[in-house]
Amino acid sequence: MNNSSHSGEPRSVRVVIVDDHTIFRSGLKADLDHRMDVVGEAGTVEEAIAVIAETRPEVVLLDVHLPGGLGGGGREVIAGSAALLGTTSFLALSVSDAAEDVVAVIRAGARGYVTKTISGAGISDAVIRVADGDAVFSPRLAGFVLDAFGTAPADIADDELDRLSARELEVMRLIARGYSYKEVAKELFISIKTVETHVSAVLRKLQLSSRHELTKWAAERRLL
Amino acid sequence: MTTAVERPPLVRSSDRMIAGVCSGLADHLGWPVKYVRLGMVLACFAGGAGLAFYAWLWTMVPTADESARRNARRPASPIAPAVSFPPATESVPRAPDAGPAPPVVGSPAVSGNPSAPDGTGGFGPPFGSPPISSPLLGSSASARTTTGSPAAPAGGWAESGSTALAVSRFNLRRIPYGKEILLGAGLLLVAVILIVRQFGVDVPLGTLIPAAAILGGAAIAWMQLDETRRAGLVDKTKADQAGGWVRLAAGLALVVAGVLVMVSGSGSWEQTWLALLASVAVLGGVALVLLPWGLKFWKDLETERAGRVRETERAEIAAHLHDSVLQTLALIQRRAGSEQDVVRLARAQERELRSWLFTDAAKDAGLLAERIKAVAAEVEDAHGQAVEVVTVGDADMTDRHEALVQAAREAMLNAARHGGGTVSVYMESTAGSTEVFIKDRGPGFDLESVPDDRLGVKESIIGRMKRHGGTATINSSKDGTEVRLALPSINADGSDTRTGDVPSGEVRNGEPRQ
Repeated sequence: MNNSSHSGEPRSVRVVIVDDHTIFRSGLKADLDHRMDVVGEAGTVEEAIAVIAETRPEVVLLDVHLPGGLGGGGREVIAGSAALLGTTSFLALSVSDAAEDVVAVIRAGARGYVTKTISGAGISDAVIRVADGDAVFSPRLAGFVLDAFGTAPADIADDELDRLSARELEVMRLIARGYSYKEVAKELFISIKTVETHVSAVLRKLQLSSRHELTKWAAERRLL
Repeated sequence: MTTAVERPPLVRSSDRMIAGVCSGLADHLGWPVKYVRLGMVLACFAGGAGLAFYAWLWTMVPTADESARRNARRPASPIAPAVSFPPATESVPRAPDAGPAPPVVGSPAVSGNPSAPDGTGGFGPPFGSPPISSPLLGSSASARTTTGSPAAPAGGWAESGSTALAVSRFNLRRIPYGKEILLGAGLLLVAVILIVRQFGVDVPLGTLIPAAAILGGAAIAWMQLDETRRAGLVDKTKADQAGGWVRLAAGLALVVAGVLVMVSGSGSWEQTWLALLASVAVLGGVALVLLPWGLKFWKDLETERAGRVRETERAEIAAHLHDSVLQTLALIQRRAGSEQDVVRLARAQERELRSWLFTDAAKDAGLLAERIKAVAAEVEDAHGQAVEVVTVGDADMTDRHEALVQAAREAMLNAARHGGGTVSVYMESTAGSTEVFIKDRGPGFDLESVPDDRLGVKESIIGRMKRHGGTATINSSKDGTEVRLALPSINADGSDTRTGDVPSGEVRNGEPRQ
């Protein structure tokens, strides 16, 4: 676990779990370690929006595919809780790592994306990271980012949102190669905090960029 | 007509004065545009024949775009060859036996066209693919008197004009240009009648014209049905098309007008109006009674169709789940004792299901990324160790890329065998080069300590990459091992641009860390 940079004192992160499978919810609850406190659960879009508004958790573990609502699933939950985006972070969770699911939910405002095959320690770390305002990138998500933004570094002339800087590209490449944040930091001789800054910047670009290639890339996969 | 074999199809040209008819015609006939235009203008003074001909071509001849679109669409409907572009020679011998035709389907003005002296050949194949819809009857009126052309060689056709419509309907589907030939025959028939009248023979126009109108109207309406049926009777997109409705309305109007004229011939107009009112009332009543029933029938049909589609989908999914998931679950139950087997089976099943559900249709199979994934799946199956593949970009497979894949496979096998835990594979392909990284979290090993007779690393990975102009570097520490395979593109320029692209960390990363 590489949470050494996080606050040392024990604290409890308030978490809401949104997933339509009860068994998965209880399994996930068991997986989360002592640093987390599950304050609510929901199985549909409407329930989720209500529970989130009521409990105001720090982190919502959000399944991408959810029944109810207008059929938008996790994206709709984020949109419905938009007022809380400043205080509540969303970590998307799915069995699917299809591009349309991943990118759609990230662009809706999720701070990260992990697949459900992630280990218990992995998910706990990811929740803490998201609670601290950082982004959680899986290798697959990093791959999507590299695919969408291209692998050439930004020129100074480029719109800042439209390309990744050389350093951000390095970080994304290493994450795509399976490096943990700690390993990335060690590899690039930078601190974990710096890695997290880069990753958050990339996440912001992914969420805000209207870059032509990104829209084209998304349109080809029917994401827009 | 026999010389028409190599002519470009008749389409309205984009080089236009008004609608591109003249230049299109000139292209098609191989004549200078000037003369065609001049001829057209001159013909306008011959009782407006040119005008009518122009209007007719404007309606009937598609623009180049439309024509291309129609041809492109054709293969999708294998049973709609009626208006296609087969080699012109094919239609030549068949032309004579297409005599039977509903009279007055289109404008007789064509036969009066001065720019098509051989009237017989004028309307067959040259008219590429006119739309079937509404051959303008109205435009004929002005030109009728000018039909003094030598276009009446077949006087005997007049009696065949009344041949049952049904026969010609059958011919339509089989004879190329069937519709055009029918149209031409109808026009010829009109010309013959008019000429005969000029010579003083008394033709009972009073009955012929209404009868022709009825036949024509019926033909138009039935063409519509035929087309609809071709597309599968209930294809809504077809039925909704405005053209279909226009055609139906035109046919209906023709038939009603014909019947009216026929009936009114035998009685006074007042009576006719009364009778008309009565029939409309009866028709309205019948419609009122049948409408709910018809609507219900239609709705049932729709429901059943939707149900059938759903059923088919469900059956397909069920079949797939049975073949894959259920079989695997059965297998897992039998192997419940062996954790490794269960993991392996679950993993393989997950992969299979994933590829079935989320296959990226935008990506072509048979490219490098697919090969890497296939190899990774193979390794995963063989060792029960998860192999996560992330790919960015793609490349065509060559012999060199195959070598890269084989080296990557070897590295994955090593990682799965000795690493323990998930193996991460990252493939990145750019214009300049292709790189593959294979990372595991095993205890690592010292490359120097690997004996020379162990072929795995030295031969299958490093040697193979070197032979194909690539490089392989291995970083191993106690935290794990990463193999980096790089294959520059075959052209030297590519590798030059590549160096500009590479972030500096990548280069440093290539060196052993120990």
